[in-house]
Amino acid sequence: MKKILLAITAFSLLASCGKDNKKNETTVTPESSKDQVVNVYTHRHYEPDQKIFKLFEDKTGIKVKVINASADELIQKMKMEGKQSPADVLITVDAGRLSRAKDEGLLQSIKSDVLEQSIPSYLQDVDNQWFGLTKRARIIAYSKDRVNPEDLTTYEDLVNPKWKGKILVRSSSNIYNQSLMASIIANDGEEAAKEWAKGMVANMARSPKGSDRDQVKAVVAGEGDLAIVNSYYIGKMLNSPDAEEVKTAQQIGLFFPNQDDRGTHINVSGAGVAKYAPNKENAIAFIEFLIGEEAQKIFTDSNYEYPVLESVIPVEDIKVWGEFKEDNLGLNKLGEHNKKAVLIFDEAGWK
Amino acid sequence: MKQVGNKDEAFSLKTRIKRLKRDSNKWSVFTLAIVFFLALPIVFIGVELFAGPGESWSHIVDYLLPDYIGNSFFLVFFCSILVLVFGVSAAWFVSRYEFPFRKQMEWLLILPLAIPSYIVGYAYAGIFDYGGSMDLLFREVGLTFIRIDIMNRAGLAFVLSISLFPYVYVSARAFFLNQANNLLEASKMLGVSEVKTFFRLMLPLARPAIVAGLVLVLMEVLNDYGAAKYYGVNTFTTGIFRSWFSLEEPQTAVYLSALLILIIFVLILIEKWQVRKMKFTSSKSNSKQIQRKPTKGIMKGFIFSVVFLPILLGFVLPVVQLIYWAVLTAATVFDMEFIMISVQSFAIAIASAVITVFFALILIYFSKWSTLSAIKNISRVGVLGYAIPGAVIAIGIMIPTLALDKWLINVLGNFGIDSGLIINGTLIALLYAYAVRFLAVAYNPIDSTALKVDNSIPDSSKVLGVGNLKTFFKIEFPLIKTGVFSAVILVFIDVMKELPLTLILKPYHIDTLAVKAFEYASDEMVMEASIPSLFIIFTAMIPVIFLNKLLIKK
Repeated sequence: MKKILLAITAFSLLASCGKDNKKNETTVTPESSKDQVVNVYTHRHYEPDQKIFKLFEDKTGIKVKVINASADELIQKMKMEGKQSPADVLITVDAGRLSRAKDEGLLQSIKSDVLEQSIPSYLQDVDNQWFGLTKRARIIAYSKDRVNPEDLTTYEDLVNPKWKGKILVRSSSNIYNQSLMASIIANDGEEAAKEWAKGMVANMARSPKGSDRDQVKAVVAGEGDLAIVNSYYIGKMLNSPDAEEVKTAQQIGLFFPNQDDRGTHINVSGAGVAKYAPNKENAIAFIEFLIGEEAQKIFTDSNYEYPVLESVIPVEDIKVWGEFKEDNLGLNKLGEHNKKAVLIFDEAGWK
Repeated sequence: MKQVGNKDEAFSLKTRIKRLKRDSNKWSVFTLAIVFFLALPIVFIGVELFAGPGESWSHIVDYLLPDYIGNSFFLVFFCSILVLVFGVSAAWFVSRYEFPFRKQMEWLLILPLAIPSYIVGYAYAGIFDYGGSMDLLFREVGLTFIRIDIMNRAGLAFVLSISLFPYVYVSARAFFLNQANNLLEASKMLGVSEVKTFFRLMLPLARPAIVAGLVLVLMEVLNDYGAAKYYGVNTFTTGIFRSWFSLEEPQTAVYLSALLILIIFVLILIEKWQVRKMKFTSSKSNSKQIQRKPTKGIMKGFIFSVVFLPILLGFVLPVVQLIYWAVLTAATVFDMEFIMISVQSFAIAIASAVITVFFALILIYFSKWSTLSAIKNISRVGVLGYAIPGAVIAIGIMIPTLALDKWLINVLGNFGIDSGLIINGTLIALLYAYAVRFLAVAYNPIDSTALKVDNSIPDSSKVLGVGNLKTFFKIEFPLIKTGVFSAVILVFIDVMKELPLTLILKPYHIDTLAVKAFEYASDEMVMEASIPSLFIIFTAMIPVIFLNKLLIKK
C-alpha cells in the first residue's frame, strides 16, 4: 500500500515537474519559437467561444491561449504583471470594466479600419482602445397573467407604488445591475438615481438573491410580477436542456423599457489590445476575426447575444422580440459612474 | 521606587534577550525561515494596511459592516452546531458500533468534502426551485410541493455545514479509532453506561481533535464566496470582493481581510485557551483499536439513520441532482478532454498535497525541537492563509514573486538571456500558493495526532543519542501516520476544488476541473457545470477510498 502511494506521488510530482520544465523552456524563448500565438485574458466563459477560437486557429495558424477569470481579477493580474504581462487581448462582458482597464493604462489604441467601420461608434472607445463584440439588453420579464404590458413604460417608472412588492431583481454586486444604475446616473443625474434606488428597494418582492434566471423563475412561481433580466439569458432559457426551464421562459412576456425616450439600456461584451501585448498584430487580427461575420453568427446563434455587426441577423429566438431602440449613451460613461452606482446601491440598502 | 521598577524592566529585558540566545537553536532558525516563507504573502497584505483604508471605508462601516458582522456570526454559530452534531455523532457511531453498511459509510462520510460548497449550494437551489426536482417529483404523484426557500442565510448555514462537516468527522474518528479503546475498557469495568461514557469521557478527551476540525470548518465558512453570493447573503468575503472590485479599492478590501483574519485569530486563541492546561498524551502508544459493539433492533435502525442522514444530505442528494443535470446536458458538454483535465487536476492536487504536508510536518516538528517556547506560537501564523480569500492570497503571492521575477529578468538580461517570467504563470507560483492557502488543512490533523504521541518515546530515543531527524522517521512518523495521510487527503480534496487562486495563477496550458465547472456556473449555466463537478467528485473519491483502506489496515 505504502509503495503504491509513494509511486503515485512520485509519478505526479514528476509529471508536474515535467510540465514545469516544459513551461520554462517555452517562456525562455518566446520569440524564437516559430509558433504564432495570441494570449487571451477573457471573462467570457462560453462554450461557443471555444468554437470561434478553434476557427481562428484553423484559419490563421495562430494558436489561441486562454486565461479565464473574472474581468476584475484579470485586470489586477495585468496591472501587476506590468510590462512582462503575456496578455495580448483582454475580453470582458461589460463596457465598464473595459473603460476601467483603459483608465488603468492597460490597453492601447489600435489602428484598424475594419473595426472602426464595422462597429457603431457608441459601441467602441473614442480612442480605439476597446471595441464591442456583442450586445445585451437589460429588459423586463413580466407575468403574462398578472401584468398588462401597457402599464409598463420606463425603468424610472418601476418605482411607482403600484409595483410595491412586485419587483424581482438580483444583487447589486452584479455588474449588469451596476451598469444599469450607471446609465441612470448618466441620464437622470445622481440625485434622481438615489431616489430611484430607494424606490426600487421599496418595491422589491424579496431580498435580492440568485441569478437572472432565478428571477424569471420567481416570476412564474408567483413571488413577484416583474423581473429585470439580461436578454441573452432568456434566449438561453428558451433553449435549455431542462424542459422545465424552457416552459418557464415561455410563460413570461418581455418588455423593452424606455422606447419612447432614450431607449433600452444595453451593454456590450468587448475586447481591447493589451498595452504591452507581445503579439500585437495577432491580437488585432484576432479581434477583427471576432467581429467578422462568421464569429458574429456564432455569438448570436449559440449564445443568444445581439451581434454588433449590422449585416448579421440575430438568431430567430431573439429576433422575434422585434427591433428596439437602444440607449445610445457612450459606454465609457458606464465605467465612469460605476463606483458611484455601487455607493448608491449600498446607501439605498439594495443588497 | 519608579527607578527601581525601570531597572527591573531593563534587567528583565536583558535577561530575556539572553535567554532567547540561550534557548534558540538551529531548529528555531529553520522554523522562522519556513514561517516567513509561508507567511510572506500575508505579510505583504499586512503591509498594505499601513497605507490606510480607501476613501469608501466609512461608507462600508456605515452601510455594510453591521450586515457583514451579523451574517458572519450567524453562520459561525449555526454552522458550528450543525457540523458538531453531524460530524461527531457519525464519527462515534462508526467507530463504536457494528451496523449494516458500516464499512462503506465510513468513507462515504468523507465524500461531501469532494463537492465544492458552491456546487452544493446550486444543487440545493435546483432541488427546491420552482420547476426543480422536488417540484417535479411532487407533481408526478399529483401533489403540490410547498416550496421551501433555501436561498437565505439559514439555508446557507445548512449548505455549508452539510458540505464541510467531514473535517470534524475525520479528525474525531481518527481519535476514536486509535485512542479510545483503553479508556472504554476502563469505563466499562467501572460499570459506566454507554451514553455517560461518551459524554463524560470520550467527548472531553476528543476535544482537541474535534476543535481542530471545527476551526477548519469555520475558516472555510468565513471564506466562502460562491454560495454566499448566490444565496444573497453578504459576508466579509463578499464584502472583500465588493470593495476590491466594485468599489475599486484594494486597500479597503485589505482592511476587511484584516478584520476577517482578526476574527480567525480570536477563534484560534479560543481553541488554545480551552485546551490550555490539559495534556493530551496517551500513556500507551500501542493502544489497540476500538472494539466495535454489535447493535440490534431499534438501536440498529437508529444508528444507521443517524449515520446515513449526513451522507444522504451532503452527498447522495446533491450528486443525484448533479447526475440528473449531467444527463440533460451530456450531449452538449461532454468531451474526451475531461479525462485529460482530470489527470492534470489529479497530478497537481497530489503534488501540492504532498508539498503542503511536508511544510506542515516541518513546522510542527522543527518548532517542537526548537527549545524556544514562543516559536510554537509563531509557527501558527503560517496557518492564517486558510482564512484569507484565495483571490487575496493570489495577489499576496504575486507581489513578491513578480518582484523576484523582474529582478531575475534584469539579472539574466545582463547575460543576454531573455528569461520571461519564471515563477509567475508557471506551476511554481501555483504550488506555492496552494501551500500557503492550505497549510492549516494539513497542520491541524497532524498537530492533533502529534500531540497525542507521548513525549517520553522520542525523548528516550534522543537520550540514547539518536538525532532529531532519525527519531522522527524511525519512531514518530509511524505513530502519526494516520494524521499525515488524513492531511494529504484533505489538502488533495481542497486543491481539487480550489478556484479563485487557480484562476489567477494557473499557467496557460493547464486546466483544472474546478476551473471548468466555474466557467459554466459563473455564467448561470449551472446545469452544464454538473459534468466537471461530477468529475471532481469521482477523482477525489480515489484517494478517499485509498486512505480509508490505510486507516483500517492499521
